[in-house]
Amino acid sequence: MIRSLGADLMAISPELPDNTLTMAEKHAIPIDVLSDATSEVIKKYRLWYAVPAEVKALYQEKFGLNMEKYNGEGRWELPVPATYVLDRGGIVRAGEADPDYTVRMEPSDIVSALRAIAEVGG
Amino acid sequence: MGLKDRLAQFDASRNRPPEIVAILKRGNETVKASGTAGLQIGERAPDFALPNQRGETVRLSDRLSMGPVVLSFYRGVW
Repeated sequence: MIRSLGADLMAISPELPDNTLTMAEKHAIPIDVLSDATSEVIKKYRLWYAVPAEVKALYQEKFGLNMEKYNGEGRWELPVPATYVLDRGGIVRAGEADPDYTVRMEPSDIVSALRAIAEVGG
Repeated sequence: MGLKDRLAQFDASRNRPPEIVAILKRGNETVKASGTAGLQIGERAPDFALPNQRGETVRLSDRLSMGPVVLSFYRGVW
């Protein structure tokens, strides 16, 4: 749906480039999965945070998650989950950011924003 | 049902202990208070160049020259 509206979709995480997928698998992923291994872009977009100590302890002790395995040494840091719809001029036309990772932008809102952009030739 | 409702339903179905829910809630509040509101509507998104899963450099401005872009920031594969 997003593609049929002429838009490109890309996903950005703070993780180091994935070494677990084969090249064929990487080619099969239909969108760009980008690695912001220094969190530079996440910071520019004002989404960066250090995982609060209490949450870090919970992840380590209860969930057995070692974030450094994915993000690299010393990087207990994440982006606030966020979605932005950009027009051709790079202007944010719609978007949402919420630290609660169970709250995400409605796909129908993304589609509506892309339709609005298409109408004005953005 | 929309994505928001489905995610809320999934989250509720996990029946997490209240002490864990409380820690995650406090964590979200701490993060919210720390200047992480992200971009505002109408603002220009900063350009960037990052490697994709195949090691190719992707530049936002190049993609924008071809059409609108939907950017999704996520935490990771875990």
